[in-house]
Amino acid sequence: MTAPRPYALLAEITYRCPLHCPYCSNPAVESAVLSGEHARQPSNALRTAHATASNGELTTDEWSRVIREAAALGVLQIGFSGGEPVARRDLADLVRAAREANLYTNLITSGIGLDDERVRALREAGLDSVQLSFQSDQSDLSDEIAGARAHQHKLDIAAKIRAAGIPLNLNFVIHRRNIDRLAQMIELTEALGAERVELANVQFYGWAFLNRVALFPTREQVIRAREIATAAKARLAGKIDIFYVLPDYYETRPKPCLNGWGQRYLTVNPVGDVLPCPTASSAIPDLRFENVRTCALDWIWRESESFNRFRGTEWMPEPCRSCPQREIDFGGCRCQAALITGNAANTDPVCEFSPNRARVDAVLHEVNSVSDHAHDWTYRVNPKVLHC
Amino acid sequence: MTAISDAARPRLAKGVRLQSDSATGKSVLLFPEGIVELNETAQEILIRCDGRTVSEIVRALAEEYDADLAALATDVRETLADLQQRRLIELT
Repeated sequence: MTAPRPYALLAEITYRCPLHCPYCSNPAVESAVLSGEHARQPSNALRTAHATASNGELTTDEWSRVIREAAALGVLQIGFSGGEPVARRDLADLVRAAREANLYTNLITSGIGLDDERVRALREAGLDSVQLSFQSDQSDLSDEIAGARAHQHKLDIAAKIRAAGIPLNLNFVIHRRNIDRLAQMIELTEALGAERVELANVQFYGWAFLNRVALFPTREQVIRAREIATAAKARLAGKIDIFYVLPDYYETRPKPCLNGWGQRYLTVNPVGDVLPCPTASSAIPDLRFENVRTCALDWIWRESESFNRFRGTEWMPEPCRSCPQREIDFGGCRCQAALITGNAANTDPVCEFSPNRARVDAVLHEVNSVSDHAHDWTYRVNPKVLHC
Repeated sequence: MTAISDAARPRLAKGVRLQSDSATGKSVLLFPEGIVELNETAQEILIRCDGRTVSEIVRALAEEYDADLAALATDVRETLADLQQRRLIELT
C-alpha cells in the first residue's frame, strides 16, 4: 500500500496538566490500574503514562528533529497539544523550530501557565494562532468542570493573546452539564473578540469514555443546541466562524475519522510514540506503535504495521467492504469500534448498518431515560509513577 | 454575495499564511486547522494582495500575461469573492 503524504502533525508534548477535566481524551490511566495481568504486560497507554511521569518526555532536541522529519515528509501544520503544552518551558523553542521548518503553528492550550512574558515569547517565536479552551461561560461551572480555579485566568489570557496580535480561536467542549449554556458561550466568544469557535460535543475516548453516562447530553439538549448554533452561525456570518460538532452516537452514519487512517494526520505523544490517532494508544491495546527514538518518522509513516493496519479499504469487513460510502467515511473511527465492540477492525458501531449498532442505542437509551444527571464523574489525574 | 469594488484592497485574513508546498511546488493557504491548495489564478492574484486595489491587481496581471482586461477582471473578482466567503481574505 502506497502511503500518501501527511499534512498535519499533532505534537502532544506532555501529558502533564494543571486541569482535571473529566472529558480529557488523554489515556485514562491511574496507578491503581496497574495490577495483576496489567503489571506483567503493561499496555501502550500504561507504558506511556509511566514514562511521562518519570520524565521520559522527548527533549527539545528530539522534538526539533521530529519537527524537521515531519516537514520533510510533507507536513505543513503542527498543533502543539498535551496535556497542557505550556507546562513545557521550552515551548517557544519548539515553536521556533517549527517555524524554521516552515510549518504553520497552532497552540492548543487551557491558557494556564501563560502570562505576558510567555505570550510575548511565543509571538516572537512566530506562533501563528492559539486555540484557547473554555469549560463554560461562567466561573463557578467552569471551575467545577475543570476541577481547578481557571476561568478568570482564561479570560485574562484571552485578552493578552488578542493584545499580542495572535489570532485567537476558542474551543468549548460541550456535554450534559454545560450544553444548555451554548448561547452564553457564543456571547462570550463575541465579547473576547475571537475569530473562530468550536462548540464540540465531547467525543468518547480516554477519560470521556470512562465518564460517558455522566457527560452524555440528552437528545432534547442536542436538538436545542443545534438550533442555537445554526442561528448564531447565520447571525455572525463573516464575523466569527462557528463549528458545532454533534456527539456522533446520535448520527446514523459514522464520521470520516482522520479522513482515513494514515492518510493526512499523525500524532507524536510525549514519549515519542507515533500514533495514527491520538486516542489509538489507549483505545486499541493490541496495536504496537513505533517510537521516534528508534525509527525514522518517514519509515514509521510509510512502512510500519500500525500505520498500514487500517490504511485504505483492504482491511474492511462487511458491511463496509461493499458499501458505496467506504471512500467517504472510511468505515468511521477505529478507536470507537475498539472501545464499543472490542475489535478495532469492526465497522464503527455508530453506523446504522453495523451489526453492533444496538450497543450505541443502548447507551442512548440509558442516557435519555435518566431524568436528572445524578451521575458523578471521575476527574482526570496526571500520570503517576507506577508501583508494581 | 456582495460585489467587490475596484477600489477595495484585498489582504490575507488574520492568521492566514500563503506559502509554497515543497511536496508539490504549488501554493497553499494555511490557517488554523485548515489548508487550501491554490490554483494558478488564485496564486497569482494572492501574491499581489499587498495593499494594492482590485483594479491595480487586474492591471498588473493584464500586463504580465498580456490578457484581456475585462475577462481578467471577472476572474479576479470571482476568485476574491470565493476567498472572502471562506474568510481567507479581508477587503479594506
